Amino acid sequence: MEIIGPVLVSGITTGALYALATLGLSLVWGSLGMLNMAHGTLLTLGGYAAFTAASQLGLPVPLAVLAAAAVGGVIGALIFVLVAYPLSRRSPETFETTIMIATFGVALTLENAVLRLYGGQPLGQPLSVGGAINLGGFALPWQNLIIIVSAIALMGATALFLTRTKTGRAIRATAQNPDAAKLMGVPVARVYLQVLILSGMLAGVCGVLVSSITQLSPSLGADPMLKAFIMCVVAGLGNLPGAIITSFGLAIVEALVQFLAGARWGFPALLAIVILVLIRRPGGLFGRVEVRRL
Amino acid sequence: MVEPSNSPCLVVNGLVTGYDGRNVLTGVSLSLDPGELVTVVGPNGHGKSTLLRAISGLLPVRKGSISLNGRVISGQPAHRVASSGVIHVPQGDLLFAGMSVIENLLMGAYLDSDQAAVARRLDEVFTLLPKLAERQTQIAASLSGGERRMVGIGRGLMMNGSVMLIDEPSLGLAPIIIEQIYEVIARLKASGRTILLVEENPARVADIADRIHLLDNGAFVWSGEPAVLLQRDELLATYLGG
Repeated sequence: MEIIGPVLVSGITTGALYALATLGLSLVWGSLGMLNMAHGTLLTLGGYAAFTAASQLGLPVPLAVLAAAAVGGVIGALIFVLVAYPLSRRSPETFETTIMIATFGVALTLENAVLRLYGGQPLGQPLSVGGAINLGGFALPWQNLIIIVSAIALMGATALFLTRTKTGRAIRATAQNPDAAKLMGVPVARVYLQVLILSGMLAGVCGVLVSSITQLSPSLGADPMLKAFIMCVVAGLGNLPGAIITSFGLAIVEALVQFLAGARWGFPALLAIVILVLIRRPGGLFGRVEVRRL
Repeated sequence: MVEPSNSPCLVVNGLVTGYDGRNVLTGVSLSLDPGELVTVVGPNGHGKSTLLRAISGLLPVRKGSISLNGRVISGQPAHRVASSGVIHVPQGDLLFAGMSVIENLLMGAYLDSDQAAVARRLDEVFTLLPKLAERQTQIAASLSGGERRMVGIGRGLMMNGSVMLIDEPSLGLAPIIIEQIYEVIARLKASGRTILLVEENPARVADIADRIHLLDNGAFVWSGEPAVLLQRDELLATYLGG
């Protein structure tokens, strides 16, 4: 227990962060068919927004977190209005490819803007809590507990929003069948905008949580983005609960491998699992296999 | 001036539309009076679904116009057309496959914020299609073909519209289920609904249709009463394979 406890805590903490990053990425990918390459950058912007609000403007913690969500939501909205919507109108056939390249450009631009504004040196996120709870055999750091609880609360709130509200139902309906949603009177473009705002807000808060156990740097969101992409592929697109379960599962495996075989084996082990899963189940663990005609 | 109540509610005038560079409909005109059931029959691939998709705004209108209750609806996006009162029950149902039956039905009432009216219409749908009441919590993807068709029709009935477009309700169903579906459509007509129905086989709609248009190669080649069409063997043989 003394050894396995901290490993599990670390695995569950990264799992919670991966899951939150994955949720935002998967929402947009699953409903718009848009792999938002700037999703990681939204995490970064959220982290820096909270930093600015808390340490430079001296705002209290809840407001700093709200600022992160607001910045994420606004940038998400702008990505839809200025990039995704015009691209999808002009050439819907090539949208899946062009939007990847376009959002990659957005990511580079925003990351360089952060670099210009804040510099490249890592900054400490002021919103972190020291200390730990002693749980018999091992210590559970407060910061990890806060991350796990906040991530789960945000995922729960998102799930309630998607299943219990009319707007949430329209988002799911549009993701499942956009033509049918239009026939029901759903303004599909507005739903897509809402999805990007929601995804951006989740990313912003996720960035605050990630930076609270690491440090702020312009490439803060790159690793969570890569992991979120892997989770989406392994879980199969369009299955949010599946993506969350996969995130926790793989993060725990990664932490165990890192502990047993050394830190550098964690990511290769993750990729090996991805390859094995995709060989056995090309549609992902929870996804339906899509037959693509070439 | 108040319009007389029997003025047509849906008017399609010289409609030209299609996909990519090709025109599928080359000038189609029709009108529906309130309470009428008009059917478009014809072989597959000659533009029946295209006609309905153009009316509901899923396909852009290239020439001609479409109006509903005196207001032009052509050129508007599909969600606006839906809110002005066109109900489209599409071919192949296009259900929200991962959602339950009740959620699919409630999506039909998306535009309606009057909870009491929504509850009343849900009751009516369950009375007309009692099977759906039993299956409320079942996921749409797990339903049988006939049940899916009923959800498609029920979802349309949850909308507060003035014209209902129904696209090949018999498609892919067993004969006994087709009979049940047509009983439902007959009851909808009896309740006074205005319906534009697309079907491949004119015999199926002969009893309930007020008028039939025969669509071939993008244009109407014959229009009239169903009883007359069924006696015109040469038309049936030429356009519908006997």
